[in-house]
Amino acid sequence: MIKVGIPRALLYYQYFPMWKTFFERLDAEVVVSPLTNKAILNSGVTRAVADTCLPVKIFFGHAVSLIDNCDCIFIPTVISLGRKAFNCSKIIGLPNMSRALIPECPVILAPEVNLEKWRYHLYRNIYELGRYFTSNPAKIRKAVKEAWESSLAYRSRMSDEGITCIEAIDGVCRVEQQSGFNSDSSPMLTIAVVGHPYVLYDDYLNHRLISRLQSMGVKVLVPEMVTERALDAAARRLVGTPHWSFEADIIGAGEYYLEVGVDGVINLSVFGCGPDSMMLNFVKHRAKELETPFLHLSLDEHATEGGLITRLEAFLDMITRRMKICV
Amino acid sequence: MRIGIPHFGNIYIPVKAVASRLHAVGDLVIPPSMTQRTLELGVKYSPTEACLPYKLTLGSLIETCELGADTLTQGRGTGICRLGYYARGQEQMLHDLGYDVSFVTVDISHNKIASFLTLIRDMTSGISWSEIIPAFIFGIGKLFTVDKVEKVVQKVRAVELEKGMADRIYREAVKAIDDATGYREVRGVSREYIDRLRGVPRNPDTIPLKVAVVGEIYVVIEPFANMDVEIELGKLGVEVERTITLSRWVKYSLFLNYLGVDEWKGVHKLAEPYLDHDVGGDGWESVGEKVLCARKGYDGMVHLAPFTCMPEIVAQNIMSSTKEDIPVLAVTCDEQMAKQGMLTRLEAFVDLLEFRRRRRDGRSVCYFG
Repeated sequence: MIKVGIPRALLYYQYFPMWKTFFERLDAEVVVSPLTNKAILNSGVTRAVADTCLPVKIFFGHAVSLIDNCDCIFIPTVISLGRKAFNCSKIIGLPNMSRALIPECPVILAPEVNLEKWRYHLYRNIYELGRYFTSNPAKIRKAVKEAWESSLAYRSRMSDEGITCIEAIDGVCRVEQQSGFNSDSSPMLTIAVVGHPYVLYDDYLNHRLISRLQSMGVKVLVPEMVTERALDAAARRLVGTPHWSFEADIIGAGEYYLEVGVDGVINLSVFGCGPDSMMLNFVKHRAKELETPFLHLSLDEHATEGGLITRLEAFLDMITRRMKICV
Repeated sequence: MRIGIPHFGNIYIPVKAVASRLHAVGDLVIPPSMTQRTLELGVKYSPTEACLPYKLTLGSLIETCELGADTLTQGRGTGICRLGYYARGQEQMLHDLGYDVSFVTVDISHNKIASFLTLIRDMTSGISWSEIIPAFIFGIGKLFTVDKVEKVVQKVRAVELEKGMADRIYREAVKAIDDATGYREVRGVSREYIDRLRGVPRNPDTIPLKVAVVGEIYVVIEPFANMDVEIELGKLGVEVERTITLSRWVKYSLFLNYLGVDEWKGVHKLAEPYLDHDVGGDGWESVGEKVLCARKGYDGMVHLAPFTCMPEIVAQNIMSSTKEDIPVLAVTCDEQMAKQGMLTRLEAFVDLLEFRRRRRDGRSVCYFG
């Protein structure tokens, strides 16, 4: 049985259920790299050029950790998901960068996903990927179908049940955040956290921000809790036609939650993120118009837990005080 | 209506030429050449992590607004890098600053030539195509001439006896070409200055090193953004070769690409073993250029990239492990860059190249200058 390694970083959070189903239906064993830890971070940081953003460095760390455990690593080249919107350069260049920076890496399976080209192009690429595992076209077809269904189910499960990626992947039901400790002293706050899935759900990267907020008695809303269609519509409302494939995660979610009316919006981004540096301004501007508190947290490999907690506490205190004055 | 354009290398020359042919110079606001103030304005009003070209063009546009421009031009396009977002962000910021300006954008990824021509027509209401097209071609002619003179000065700088002389002549040439009113005059002026440049007294002892300057188009072309890297290399006795020029862009993107000629095809092919598809911006080209420079036997390469430029980071990551043996100096340009730091790095780089050349030629290696 062929072992396929999947790094637990970047696109993993959005597409893992799809990939897993696909490879398992083709009788391959899926190996996922461990949760991000210090060793992974360090091995990524030492390999990549200093200017590279943190999630990509972490990605290399995950890929390195898979070297001995699998026969091939799956790193798709996701160029465009259609509608003239493209992915970030670094995601497009991932397989090539991995080959360059990790020469000892096993075979990299890098099917090109570019919906700007003909549909036939995508089908052929997926078929070629499947051929690595089986020579039976019918089996590949079936695997693709099931993978697609599981991806749809995954996405709708998150928006229907209001759970995060991690909870949906692990199949864990959300523990209702009945804040027992400070429900009487302060009203429960609803805060939207917007950002790329690979930043929001990597607990090592963001110092457990989401669970930290939850333990502070905050109801956390993430982009995945809204249907894709609503996010797209919100993004269109704010900036028009999307330029990047993941614009809905940042602008769409920001605008959607600002419109719905939350107590505050936290944007979680990483230092040096090109698309975020541009998109954020629109969300920030909109938050200013609507007078919603907005916190921008920029993470990098030097960000410390203490600094993060201080900023979060100050932000929450500020919101609570505002609410008291208003009431 | 007064039209403002951001500063970008010598782009003001063709723009001015088109405007003068259409008798619309009064409607055009040419930004002053970039200064520290431009940079500071841009940095102040840009998102912190935006890239240097964004900040510089914003600073430049603010300066044109101060001079009374009310319609600003900026590039737009579908593509991978941030460029497609420039106009949206800058328009919002200028409105926030209280300038009542409108943005017109030029599509620089599809329908480029149509986009340029319609822009000119929209700007000059009531002028027919039969006037616009010759004016446009005249502008392009001037751009080509300037770049032709620049190609010569890049070579002369390295060997001139009296440092700075070639640049003085080049600046005069740019001015003269800018002032020229007809094809004949442009041609005459360019011939005259090229002859003068070729006649600059040369240092017979210098054998110039050959270095290619590649990278992101804005920081490569705009001398203010790259701290005059070409002039400084010239002073150190280095002949600079730069494939990315505005005239090349115009030649291929506006004309020959429509005929199926792809100027980067060869470079992309060379990059293929390392990077096999476009990553936006000039990243793919940078990787290919490295291979090309090594094949052509250049002594070194300077890779310029704005800080946090996504395509160039991909290129840097890949370039660091290609097997071609050519030294690459990666320079990241941002507002924190200081001239002295840059000079030190360039000197060290040129020393390294000199060292390598001596070793290759079997000459004695002198460690103490």
